[in-house]
Amino acid sequence: MNATTARQIKTSPNLRVTNLGLRPSTIIAMGLAALVIAYLVGAFTSIGVSRFLHAYLLSLCFFLSINLGALFFVVLQHLTRARWSVVIRRIAELLTSTIPILGLLMLPVVVAMVLGDSELYSWNDAELRQTDVLIKGKAAYLNAPFFALRCLFYFATWTAIARFYFTKSVAQDHAADFRPTAQMRKWSGPAMITFAATVNFAAFDWLMSLDPHWFSTIFGIYFFAGAVVAVLAALTLVSALLQRFGYLDRAITIEHYHDLGKLLFGFMFFWAYIAFSQFLLIWYANIPEETVWYLHRQQHGWQYVGILLIAGHFLLPFFGLMSRSARRNQSVLVFWSVFLLAMHWVDLYWLAIPTVSPERVSVGAMELLTLLGIGAIWAGAFAGKLEGTALVPTGDPNLGESLAFHNV
Amino acid sequence: MTSDHKNTKTAQTQTSAFLAEFQSQGMLIHAARELRLSGYTQLDAFTPFPIHELDDALGVKPTRLPWLVLGAGLTGGIAALAFQWWTNAVDYPMLISGKPLFSLPANIPVTFEVIILAAALTAFFGMLAINGLPKLANPLFRSPRFTRATTDGFFLSVDAQDEQFDADATKVVLERAGATFVEQITAEPNPQSMPRTILMTTAVLGSLALLPPVFIASARSTTSDKPRLHNFFNMDFQPKFKSQTTTKLFDDGRAMRPRVGGTIPRGSLALSPELELGYEPTSPESDSSETLPNDRNWVADVPMPITTQFMERGRQRFDIHCAVCHGKAGYGNGLASQRALELEQGTWVLPTSLHSPHVIAQPAGQLFNSITNGVRKMPAYGHQIPVEDRWAIVLYMQALQRSQQASLEDVPETIKTKLREMN
Repeated sequence: MNATTARQIKTSPNLRVTNLGLRPSTIIAMGLAALVIAYLVGAFTSIGVSRFLHAYLLSLCFFLSINLGALFFVVLQHLTRARWSVVIRRIAELLTSTIPILGLLMLPVVVAMVLGDSELYSWNDAELRQTDVLIKGKAAYLNAPFFALRCLFYFATWTAIARFYFTKSVAQDHAADFRPTAQMRKWSGPAMITFAATVNFAAFDWLMSLDPHWFSTIFGIYFFAGAVVAVLAALTLVSALLQRFGYLDRAITIEHYHDLGKLLFGFMFFWAYIAFSQFLLIWYANIPEETVWYLHRQQHGWQYVGILLIAGHFLLPFFGLMSRSARRNQSVLVFWSVFLLAMHWVDLYWLAIPTVSPERVSVGAMELLTLLGIGAIWAGAFAGKLEGTALVPTGDPNLGESLAFHNV
Repeated sequence: MTSDHKNTKTAQTQTSAFLAEFQSQGMLIHAARELRLSGYTQLDAFTPFPIHELDDALGVKPTRLPWLVLGAGLTGGIAALAFQWWTNAVDYPMLISGKPLFSLPANIPVTFEVIILAAALTAFFGMLAINGLPKLANPLFRSPRFTRATTDGFFLSVDAQDEQFDADATKVVLERAGATFVEQITAEPNPQSMPRTILMTTAVLGSLALLPPVFIASARSTTSDKPRLHNFFNMDFQPKFKSQTTTKLFDDGRAMRPRVGGTIPRGSLALSPELELGYEPTSPESDSSETLPNDRNWVADVPMPITTQFMERGRQRFDIHCAVCHGKAGYGNGLASQRALELEQGTWVLPTSLHSPHVIAQPAGQLFNSITNGVRKMPAYGHQIPVEDRWAIVLYMQALQRSQQASLEDVPETIKTKLREMN
């Protein structure tokens, strides 16, 4: 029975997305235009370049976190030799293939840093590096050339892992034997370790060093937890969207959504667990150099953003996704995916924006334009990849089992 | 054993179930559907591997276990939180460094763990209970064919409790549904009787389990002249010198080391004597032991710049160091005192009310001196609170005293008129 279904899938015309309304290049051009407008508005109004840069970083981290989560997802499936997930894995692989585009979007920030800009990262200020004793002490790590080098290293590593898994997976579609799959499994361990180390330090560099006095060793895991929540929500949404347009209709069933829902629930809780672990130790120790970060986020309205996160990123979805019947209902799952993606944005907003606007909680043109701009570039690049690639790894040895997958 | 065997033969055999064997999983599912259509409800299937369609074919209802787990988790969480609140804020309130008696973040880890514990135990034992486990024996195991349910046999059983059950008709229905072999399983003749060895073992283990509580209870209610057990030997006997003891390590035999010549301990650099002592010494070399308190030249007012921040510091330090005994308002009714009175041990000296006339009459320097060196039962705090903080506490104490002795003249004119208007 499994073999016949697999054969049906292989010959099904639904496997390739051949016609998307807008051309991907048009979408990307519109995104770039939005970013240029955002910069001009920021530079020539009272909003300021600093706010633009923070919003830009926020939007970049939002989409990058989805891609990094996808990279984790792909490597994890090979590491555990998961069989249920084969039909969804290609979507995650396609998501990871847009990482280099986001690396290019990071380039302006890095170039500005090397040229001495300190609007985004105050530690890059030449004077502060002499006068501020903490920044002075961290200067061996927090300096523009090393920062640029690390950024290059992160993106090069992620692109390499993503490309390896994407090309091998596509090669498996037409391969005569299972050698590509064997290679993907063989390298999944080192890939996972490399991923963990780089994401950890990337989170330190990009988000934690916005407040260079503050440090938290769990911060990287916090960012990672949010990224996995984001990708599981994104995978659910992309799958549902593709199915709405008639693709993958027989490949992805409620059983796969059910599993995505379980993982979404688990990692949503993991995020809350890590968030509280970070908070509890700082709260209990009550050391000023650590509490100051939370202090900024507990006054001038920021406390309500924090409460929104506790409710929206934890309590509501916790009870909303707890029931098996909720996770087996595609509409309910789509709702919570949209909700949690929005909350993931609020989470990153709460990490990045208090540094530039400690006195006021506001969401304005900068956040919106950069989200739309980077979002359009990201979506355009993703759509470009969708065309011409099979949506299911048709040659995967476990495809039949994944198609026939059934939750106990 | 032999007598049991005889009993089986003599007792009236009663049918417990029909066990039907099928050739394949498809046949089994088909038969399960057929029997359900015929109105049978007490069906069970046994297969070597899980078959997803079986739940549906047998009409197995969704399990109630998640609701039990949810209920247990919520109950555990609420109970843990309530217990922590009751112990910390109600039954034995302890003020530590002026922190709130009950603060949610500190209680989350315990609450979380109890939720997990309650939910996990309920999931485990609830699953066993709902499945009717543990079960000493199942009559089906007496069928020799039944062992094949773990290798290559597909079995369906119809319980005799089923309303549709009929010794002859059911067998026909099963055979018509495709069973290759139908077996009548007889019930245990005397299912209530538990083997004697099991009963005896349970009784012995149960009595033995009572021994530890008995030992604990007797130890708690009697006294003993034997030294207590040292569970943590290296904690009870630490390789260190206590104050006022001797040692062979140093030539002079003293464990306490005198100050190294030409050095000053951190933070003890001498300020002016008025600031350090609270009074002006008669001669530069004299100290407090030479003059009686009443003869001293006390500093009248706090000799430091008085700011709101300084007052706030005083309030904070007072709440941390003084309020446990003297009470937050200074009436001598702090938590430690309340607890001591409750214990009724007779050695407790009531803390002085800071609002009694002889304290109000004291100049600032004398209050400072009391904090530094202690008064009667009150210990000295000089080594524990820095000089500036002691003066801040004196300032706050004076503010407290003033607040309790206020008269109408102290009220500003604007507020007076407001009060009159309210009347």
